[in-house]
Amino acid sequence: MIEAKLYATLRAIAGSKTVTLERQPDTVGAVLEELSDRFPDLRAGLLDEDGAVRPFVAVMVDGRDIRHLDGLNTAIEDGVTLDIFPPVAGGCW
Amino acid sequence: MALRGYANRVARIDLTAGTVTYEEINEEDARLYIGARGLGVKYLLDNGATVDPDSPENMLAFMNGPLTGSEATMSGRLAVVTKSPLTGTVSDSHMGGWSAARLRWAGFDALLFTGRAASPVYAYVEDGTVELRPADDVWGKGVHDTVPHFQSRYGDDLSVMAIGQAGENGVRFASIINEHDRAAGRGGMGAVAGGKNLKAVVVKANDSTMPKVADRDAWRPVHQRALKTILDSEVTAPKAGGLSLYGTNVLMNPVNALGGIGTRNSQTTQFDGAEKISGETVREELLVGDPTCHACPVACKIEVEVKDGPYAGLHMESLEYEPAWSLGANCDVDDPRVLAKLIDQCNDYGMDAIEIGNAISMYMEATQNEYVTGAGLVWGDTSAMVEVVDQIAMREGLGDLLAEGPARAAEQIGHPELAMTVKGQAVAAYDPRAIKGEAIGYATSNRGACHLRGYTPASELLGIPVKTDPLEWKGKGELLKIFQDLHSFSDSLDLCKFSAFAEGAEEYAAQYQVIVGEPMTADGVMLVGERIYNLERYFNNLNGFDGKDDTLPQRYLEEPGTGPAAGSVVELDEMKAEYYAARGWDDGVVPEAKLRELQIIK
Repeated sequence: MIEAKLYATLRAIAGSKTVTLERQPDTVGAVLEELSDRFPDLRAGLLDEDGAVRPFVAVMVDGRDIRHLDGLNTAIEDGVTLDIFPPVAGGCW
Repeated sequence: MALRGYANRVARIDLTAGTVTYEEINEEDARLYIGARGLGVKYLLDNGATVDPDSPENMLAFMNGPLTGSEATMSGRLAVVTKSPLTGTVSDSHMGGWSAARLRWAGFDALLFTGRAASPVYAYVEDGTVELRPADDVWGKGVHDTVPHFQSRYGDDLSVMAIGQAGENGVRFASIINEHDRAAGRGGMGAVAGGKNLKAVVVKANDSTMPKVADRDAWRPVHQRALKTILDSEVTAPKAGGLSLYGTNVLMNPVNALGGIGTRNSQTTQFDGAEKISGETVREELLVGDPTCHACPVACKIEVEVKDGPYAGLHMESLEYEPAWSLGANCDVDDPRVLAKLIDQCNDYGMDAIEIGNAISMYMEATQNEYVTGAGLVWGDTSAMVEVVDQIAMREGLGDLLAEGPARAAEQIGHPELAMTVKGQAVAAYDPRAIKGEAIGYATSNRGACHLRGYTPASELLGIPVKTDPLEWKGKGELLKIFQDLHSFSDSLDLCKFSAFAEGAEEYAAQYQVIVGEPMTADGVMLVGERIYNLERYFNNLNGFDGKDDTLPQRYLEEPGTGPAAGSVVELDEMKAEYYAARGWDDGVVPEAKLRELQIIK
């Protein structure tokens, strides 16, 4: 069973801090596909028109941004920690 | 002066003699160093790089830039520049609110304080004049009593930049606070003010004297373009972007997710309680308002009210990311209500919440390791933390030791390795084992460990201007130089650093060009930024700082991070070599040829 943790503005869209996936995804792409199906407004926040992850959106698998892994093809296994952030920055002060 | 945008008026205040003299800005210096941070450092250099920071001869400069207080978006920043009693380096610390704008509206680019008053004074600024007035009736008061005191005396349209008891008592990391809670936080600016018997700078002015850009036709599109980048950015968009909705503390969860939250004095790098102290939780449970600064639509400040627990009824701003880390994860505290209390204490006493959190965490680790006698301080003991913050501000008991800052305090208890400091100043909320740009950033910062000199997390976390791998060291020295130079320029305009989440060198150049009336390009922005960064380094070199001081606590080099940063330590030597090559420095020293090339010396 895979659980996706959502942050910041994504929580209001999904109505929850975490979403337990109903399907058994094998890649990050499959995770985002299910989330987009269940929460259509999430799709616009996470993916562009071509289905790629939008700039500045951070999808992390075990703390590693998929932009430094295999992108949407990054493999997902049971027990993995999956964190999804909208574009956020701050922290200077 | 041919340059527009400036008030072209500087006050030199000799506190020993009690005299105020006025002068124009040196045009050549303004061209080379712009204003605020850059020009402030030049004034400090001309005052004498090797003065004792604790002596009356040290200069305390309140510096505006040519954009401060103007119509430019995010132009409400002021730089306080001095030689730091914490680090012995040159240091600048910026604050938002309205004091900066009001100082410009009152007709000043800069107030330069030297000497020491015989008894407590404050500087009253209005309509192009500065007067020194007795401050005996507010000496001994906290910021939260000092500000209303002056407001009741002088009425509306007033800004107060004040020290609290910490500055009066020489706490080495004392801050200067304005608008109750906006801090020129780092480097001990408040300690220098206190040492001069300068309680406050009080400025009365309103926007009826706000400078209007001369060339309206040229300004309109430039301003609209810069503003649009802020409004359209998914990061900064008012009431929509993460920074606006959750404040700076929106970073607690993502930084923790990648294993970059130093925990228990950086013994580990992931904090189980991060969600509890995150921006999301604060918004859900405590948020009551979102104040802003002059000319800023983002409004990132977080005003909170504690509804239950021992601090119920506390109403304060602003529960920011840095103190949420330094006093939270760093000290094993996961209750945002307590953090609100601790931060409010720091604002009232006038203390740098980053430094004090690191001082406390250092002592907590010393207690854990049984290096101290007595009860010490135990991880997560919030009641003891509230008490020790009082003691530090008043320099009583254990507080007298910790008021020296974590580096000196750790040295005194015989375990300097427990201080997470560089050049005497404490690290910030990005563990360098997980975010390598901050490793070289902390090590080479001209004002001691600092995340703001070159904010590489913009690239490593978000992807501005390009996404880089936070765990990769290669290329970070070169990346850091770009950020350091860019920020040196924007800090000299003086625009809020958050503008860099949307704007870039092109927007900075365009705004400067129209307001000042001098040609400027994006390349020119980077060149001026490089000059300013080298000027600071030159100042430090004159004080004996070199490559040996560009270092990090051993912990980061030998003890791997945890969680996603497991196995990662900092490759310091490799990063320094890359960075120095990018800078053209010899082991941390600016060569004479470089100083000439950048027109720092003739």
